[in-house]
Amino acid sequence: MANPLPRTDAAPDAALIAAWRDGDEQAAAELVGRHARPLARFLAGAGAPDADVDDLVQETFIRAFRSVDRFRGQCQFRTWLLTIGGNVLKDFGRRAARRKVVPLDDVVRDATGDPQEHAEASEAEELLAAGLKRLPRLQREVFLLRAQQGLAYEEIAAALATTPGAARVHYHHAVKRLKEIVK
Amino acid sequence: MNNERLENLAKRLGSEAAARLDVDATARKVVERLREQPVHRIAWVQQGWLRIAAALVIVVGGAVVTSRLTPVRRTGVSTHPAHFVADDLSDLSADELRDVLGSFDQLISTDSVAVPEGSTDLHELDAQQLRAVLRALEG
Repeated sequence: MANPLPRTDAAPDAALIAAWRDGDEQAAAELVGRHARPLARFLAGAGAPDADVDDLVQETFIRAFRSVDRFRGQCQFRTWLLTIGGNVLKDFGRRAARRKVVPLDDVVRDATGDPQEHAEASEAEELLAAGLKRLPRLQREVFLLRAQQGLAYEEIAAALATTPGAARVHYHHAVKRLKEIVK
Repeated sequence: MNNERLENLAKRLGSEAAARLDVDATARKVVERLREQPVHRIAWVQQGWLRIAAALVIVVGGAVVTSRLTPVRRTGVSTHPAHFVADDLSDLSADELRDVLGSFDQLISTDSVAVPEGSTDLHELDAQQLRAVLRALEG
């Protein structure tokens, strides 16, 4: 195994990826630490059952690290990771459909804050989550990458192998449909 | 609902699941799994070559089958000089054979072509002698 790379918070992802390619496991752990929570948010937003988010995050990182040679810096590592997460979630959905498993949705909600306000926000979030599940996959992912992750259209387009204009169109279609659902 | 509210809602989506994630434990598990199941790069490369080989077999096989199934078009006179000579040699008159041979003048002047004895000029050859020259050129 290669000597661990001395790291600081400023060490760019590219340096960590290069270190992982050389066999530095600590570099892989550092990348997980940086990107696991945004990935978990993306997966949960895209419809992953809460109980499976941890497993799906792990699976996404495993798949990313194994195919890291295919990452050519066309977009940020995190964006690339999120698109892999989308594929992992799709495969998970297929397996679940074959097993006819109904995901448990017994999420324990945060009970802090004004109960009425919280209830309204939760209701809207649930409507939005339900609306996202009804969107085509590309629209859903573009919406989440843009609205949830705050990415630019150029970045989204590079990750999804499309054009910024097409990404913008997908986003606007998604917004239009979601507005109809979440009134 | 306006865009801003929708985006705010989207930002909150999944935040609870993300907050519950034990990042350190996840990182440990990922590293352990990577250690237990190392990347089989060689196997991947072999798989890649196998796929390329399979694609080549399909393409070449398809081309062979297509060429066999496609009828050969014959338009009477082939445009290729070799076919011209081979297919229609016996139908040519002496003048036509001379025209053909005119394009081979350079070749004929070399030692590799057997010219009938006693002949110094192509115009002096009769049809039979010209055929003999052409057959010699065909090898």
